[in-house]
Amino acid sequence: MSGFDLVVPETVEEAIAALQTLGPGEAAPLAGGTDLLLDVDEGRLAPRRIVSLRRLPWRTLDWNGNSLTVGSTLPLRSLEDDPQVRVKYPGLYEAVRNVGSVALRHRATVGGNLVRAAPASDLIPILLALDAEVDLVGPHGDRTVLVDRFVQASRRTDLRPGELVRSVRFPEPRPSDFRWQRVRPANDISQVVVAVAFSPAGRRWRVAVGGVSPRPTLLTEAADALGSGRPDADAIRRAAESASTRALFVTDRRASEEYRRRLVGTLLERTVASVVETKGFPA
Amino acid sequence: MTAGPVRLNVNGTARVIPDVPGPERLLDTLRWRLKLKGTKEGCRTGDCGACTVLVDGRSCLSCLTLAHEVDGSAVTTIEVGPDELLVARVRAAFEAAGALQCGYCTPGFVMAVAGLLRERGTAAPREELLEGLGGNLCRCTGYAAIVRAVDLLRTEAP
Repeated sequence: MSGFDLVVPETVEEAIAALQTLGPGEAAPLAGGTDLLLDVDEGRLAPRRIVSLRRLPWRTLDWNGNSLTVGSTLPLRSLEDDPQVRVKYPGLYEAVRNVGSVALRHRATVGGNLVRAAPASDLIPILLALDAEVDLVGPHGDRTVLVDRFVQASRRTDLRPGELVRSVRFPEPRPSDFRWQRVRPANDISQVVVAVAFSPAGRRWRVAVGGVSPRPTLLTEAADALGSGRPDADAIRRAAESASTRALFVTDRRASEEYRRRLVGTLLERTVASVVETKGFPA
Repeated sequence: MTAGPVRLNVNGTARVIPDVPGPERLLDTLRWRLKLKGTKEGCRTGDCGACTVLVDGRSCLSCLTLAHEVDGSAVTTIEVGPDELLVARVRAAFEAAGALQCGYCTPGFVMAVAGLLRERGTAAPREELLEGLGGNLCRCTGYAAIVRAVDLLRTEAP
């Protein structure tokens, strides 16, 4: 076991200072720890200091009208259990309740999932499809960035030295859904993740994939193929074909490029159909 | 803080555990400092659920949880006495259904079932309860009897 120091700051300012006073990679923030501690145990990360966020007042879930703000250290299980999330953000609900297992979701958080930026994150694709925004606090003030800008590459984000994710904001309820493919239903890393949402205000679709390449990605051509309202069977097929041909796919020990390519098309068709039929799609 | 005390209420008894290093997992604190060996180490990577305990009534993978992170919490393990009625009922149901073979996964399963029933109630949909056990592995593949134990605990929705 690595010999990191654990610090448990009482305030946001103390947490920022604890992260900032060490060099890059030497300090890491700890939310649920379900992903970070694995990397520490297996030697992929060797921080000298781990900064626990557990005393910060970020275990929150706030509604401002229909817009939802999720505190970065709220356990995923609490998000899953909010009755309004299920109705207003059905795709988010589906994605969250399919992360890991119940015991894992009692500790794992949205902020942790985002900052750890795993290629096969089960949450980042739906955050992309919902145009979620990341609220950051740091030594040089607060700022807000779109998830699409925040997640840069496998395990790399736009988080600057000393910065922390305070919350993730979902601006607009959207008919939406999520599908995964894994070897084991629980506690497994997805081979393919597909998230789809329809923006009623913008009359446009959002399609995102994860698990297939180093970075979860919005697919704009596939989304455009779905049109500006209820897509017909042809449009859905064109979107699936676009996703299968235009997205980047890699082969690794979990699945081959070809398998992922075919699966993305199939899951996309099913997810769009589900959004239209069962997730409150406008008439 | 390289080390410091961790305060836990373990199975109803207040404990102050001195000098727990920051990186120490709750699993190791329970097994090696408190000598509560009922909680098992399986994979140590959060895949198998053998180390499941309850923290403030909710299931928790003790192998992926730093002891200091649950400072001040109530921890319930398989060793809890018969006064903890829910865990006692789950243990009895596992016994009645013969829901164990080698027994290594059993403490984790019992705590996971107890946690689910506390969260969702015994009238929760069967599918939801069984899905909620997806994080626990039985390498003897004795799942059928475990499902029977869950069925013994379920009550029909009113």
